[in-house]
Amino acid sequence: MLALVNRILDWFKSLFWKEEMELTLVGLQCSGKTTFVNVIASGQFNQDMIPTVGFNMRKITKGNVTIKVWDIGGQPRFRSMWERYCRGVNAIVYMVDAADPDKIEASRNELHNLLDKPQLMGIPVLVLGNKRDLPTCLDEKELIDRMNLCAIQDREICCYSISCKEKDNIDITLQWLIAHSKSGGR
Amino acid sequence: MAFKRDKKEEEDGGGNPFENIEKTSVLQEARAFNDTSVNPRKCTHILTKVLYLLNQGEILGTTEATEVFFAMTKLFQSKDVVLRRMVYLGIRELSSIAEDVIIVTSSLTKDMTGNEALYRAAAIRALCSITDVTMLQAIERYMKQAIVDKNPAVSSAALVSSLHLAKTAGELVKRWVNEAQEAFSSDNVMVQYHALGLMYHIRKTDRLAVIKLVSRLTKQGLKSPFAVCLLIRIACRLLEDDDSAPGTDSTLLSFIESCLRHKTELVIYEAAHAMVNLRRTTARELAPAVSVLQLFCSTSKPPLRFAAVRTLNQVAMSHPSAVTACNLDLENLITDSNRSIATLAITTLLKTGAESSVDRLMKQIASFVSEISDEFKIVVVQAIRALCTKFPRKHSVLMNFLSAMLRDEGGLDYKASIADTIITIIESNPEAKETGLAHLCEFIEDCEHTSLAVRILHLLGREGPKTKQPSRYIRFIYNRVILENAAVRGAAVAAMAQFGAQCPDLLENVQVLLARCQMDSDDEVRDRATYYYTILALSKRNLYNSYITESLQVSIPALEKSLHQYTLNASDTPFDMKSVPLAAVEPLVLENAPQKGAPEGTLLSTPAAPQRLGVSKEESALELLSNIPEFAPLLPQLGPIFRTSEPVELTESETEYVVRCIKHCFARHLLLQFDCLNTLSDQLLENVRVSLEPAEGYRILRELPIPKLPYNETCSAFCLLEFPEELTASTGTFGATLAYMVKDCDPATGLPDSDDGYDDTYMVEDVEVNLADQVQRVWKGNWAAAWEEAANLCELEDTYALTSMRSLQEASTNIVQFLGLQPADRSERVQEGKSSHTLYLAGVFRGGHDVLVRAKLALADGVTMQLTVRASNPDVAELVTSAVG
Repeated sequence: MLALVNRILDWFKSLFWKEEMELTLVGLQCSGKTTFVNVIASGQFNQDMIPTVGFNMRKITKGNVTIKVWDIGGQPRFRSMWERYCRGVNAIVYMVDAADPDKIEASRNELHNLLDKPQLMGIPVLVLGNKRDLPTCLDEKELIDRMNLCAIQDREICCYSISCKEKDNIDITLQWLIAHSKSGGR
Repeated sequence: MAFKRDKKEEEDGGGNPFENIEKTSVLQEARAFNDTSVNPRKCTHILTKVLYLLNQGEILGTTEATEVFFAMTKLFQSKDVVLRRMVYLGIRELSSIAEDVIIVTSSLTKDMTGNEALYRAAAIRALCSITDVTMLQAIERYMKQAIVDKNPAVSSAALVSSLHLAKTAGELVKRWVNEAQEAFSSDNVMVQYHALGLMYHIRKTDRLAVIKLVSRLTKQGLKSPFAVCLLIRIACRLLEDDDSAPGTDSTLLSFIESCLRHKTELVIYEAAHAMVNLRRTTARELAPAVSVLQLFCSTSKPPLRFAAVRTLNQVAMSHPSAVTACNLDLENLITDSNRSIATLAITTLLKTGAESSVDRLMKQIASFVSEISDEFKIVVVQAIRALCTKFPRKHSVLMNFLSAMLRDEGGLDYKASIADTIITIIESNPEAKETGLAHLCEFIEDCEHTSLAVRILHLLGREGPKTKQPSRYIRFIYNRVILENAAVRGAAVAAMAQFGAQCPDLLENVQVLLARCQMDSDDEVRDRATYYYTILALSKRNLYNSYITESLQVSIPALEKSLHQYTLNASDTPFDMKSVPLAAVEPLVLENAPQKGAPEGTLLSTPAAPQRLGVSKEESALELLSNIPEFAPLLPQLGPIFRTSEPVELTESETEYVVRCIKHCFARHLLLQFDCLNTLSDQLLENVRVSLEPAEGYRILRELPIPKLPYNETCSAFCLLEFPEELTASTGTFGATLAYMVKDCDPATGLPDSDDGYDDTYMVEDVEVNLADQVQRVWKGNWAAAWEEAANLCELEDTYALTSMRSLQEASTNIVQFLGLQPADRSERVQEGKSSHTLYLAGVFRGGHDVLVRAKLALADGVTMQLTVRASNPDVAELVTSAVG
């Protein structure tokens, strides 16, 4: 009985305090973007993923927040289109494969290229170093250093080290996202 | 009547809601797609406007389209079914204009494999429209699954999309044949039809596989009537191919015949249509098909009646006797309430009917001719044209009818077909000439189509001076100069000059009129007037002939090219007209030859490669030769190609090697091009050449063998010869042998087994060089004048008995072909029932020697011919007379 009352209460809450947020998920190919969406949507981790050709659109409800996620393919041919999907979103999530040192430099360049676009000024950025379950993985400090995140001064920026496989630090990532549902570059 | 008014009011009230939309404002509205929360109704409406604009022919720039496209992709967040389906349509429309359209690949693959049935088929179609060759591999798995899907809409969409994809990625689609086969066994009529379409397309190039497919399916019996129709078309295509195996033909024919007894009307009609349109159909096979059509003529369903009468109308020319059987039913259709059916019925009757019924039918058709559309009026005109050739005595009735039609409203196609018909009547029937010209004169008095007026003025200039009373036409022509636009004025000036040149008593008046035209406001008209005035003022007959009555004989594109070349290298020597290659006159097509449209094959028929406009054989050959590094430096010495003859087969078509010879004739050289084809898959030929034993007097200057000739490829070997000094020795026969080195090779890879090969030869037929190869046809507008002028040239005369010829027409056709000269004044056509005929021929021999030939033919136990040749070079004249003997 109590559960029912609670659910009705939740429903009322969601009616009045329902919040929507929109975020775009970009990053080089094979960094784990689509995997991340699956993990926060359904908690399922799948090792065998095929490259995203184009984009996936997902709506995820967490509490009273509905998150619209634009998950854009990371292959070179799609990178020029990232910007189109980043315009006007509440936050940009930039995924980095922190366990692959060879790709860090390319990833850094793409991130700085993207954030230089005048259209995207002021939009908060969350950099996620994925695959912390692997031994060669960089921690947050090293990642901030290698990605040269200190140079980005005109906006809020944050960096977490996560693991989609072990579901490590996913909760703090979600908290950060939900906290940014109201603010945003609009 | 009341209903009509209601409908009209409705139209006035409702109107087109999209009538006043504008591109820029719609593009502005489309930005709403980017809003965070999507309003499906609003966005659907905006997308509809975008699609409407595109379908109205509005052109979006690449940036605009890309902008709209990406905004549209944002709509994937909405779950609204209607909006999503609109997005699919939008993707398909914009896929060819916008950039980076592959961005939606992943979203579409998700939709096509998802649970929402309404999305799947449309998503497949959209996906195939955005996929380029590089991305195909990625979607192949999904397509294969979709083809065999249980949902008929999905399966059909995948099959049809595969057909579209096959245009760009044929090889990949071929791998889907098993899936197509599986889909073919579906219970759904549409899926079976589309699957057959794909299966056929995949095997289309492999004749044997198609035969197997068809013979298997004809026995099996198909569920889908659409598939049966397609099968009939494929069978027809096979039957129309010439080199069909004898056994398969009869089974195919009996299959089509059995379809005449099918339970679906669609199939019955398709079979009947196929039977009557087959090139090889005989009267026996035709009878059942026609009787089926006859039955359809009296059904209550208008579409069937229309189809039947239309088909009968088409075959009325090729098989009149078969159609005559239906005359009674056709008579009933004359009064059909559907005007299209009535028109077709009447025109069919006109084609098959007797002379006595012409008047009655014409009266009937005149009663409603104003109610039918232009398209059907053209059908009527064509029927009249056929009638005129059939019953020349009826020309006055028909001509009056035509001129009444000319005065009615109508589009250019319609008017042009009437004018064409009148011109044909004028040319084929001398009695009708004067009335025909009078009708045309009247027509151009009030003609809004410039192209048609120009054509008629040209015709008046050509035919008018030869009539009894040329002066009457001058007024009509000069009226044009006063009233019309520049193009028509120019044509009128040229036509008047023809009168001045050919009618001495009118010369003075024409000169006055031309003098007035020199004040014209248009440059071209003034130039023409001045040009003709000056030449006519000189009053020299030979100048008239060469500069007024005769048209330019060189090929216009070549002239343009040479003049451009001349202006680039500034030199003091004047431009030489002789250096420009002559234009080849296309051999005339006899009017009576049964004109057939493209064979009704399948839906996937590919049109024959269109010949490039205005480029002659000679020019395309020159282009080919100048791309061969061995010949390019030689070409300037050889000069332009004088004539390129039709290819001659030196082997049977089914042999191991196929060799064709094309003769390119230059002023003093002969270049033989041998196109060789290797049909043996286990052999690689190297150093392939045709070794010649030239006739006496010829010298081989250069040979160019084919270095490598792999299986199923055609390459060309060349041999350059010099003509003998003696012109009379220039016709002859060369023995020819194909010589090459053989290396055995693996049929699969085409790579030779070892480096050693052995030399071998292969006998081919002799190459003959005859007179026609060295002569270019030239059209003389006024042959008699040219003949007079040539009186002081060298003349030779001889008499021959052509015993093997049985009729004058046969003799005339053979002579024209043999000499390779152009007949003037339509003299190649022998009037029926005459016992003598004169043939007027003209041409130019290589090196620029004019040749005129008059051949008097008489029918007497075979054909006797008196041949008179006038040529600017005595050797040429001798060559012509000796060639005939």
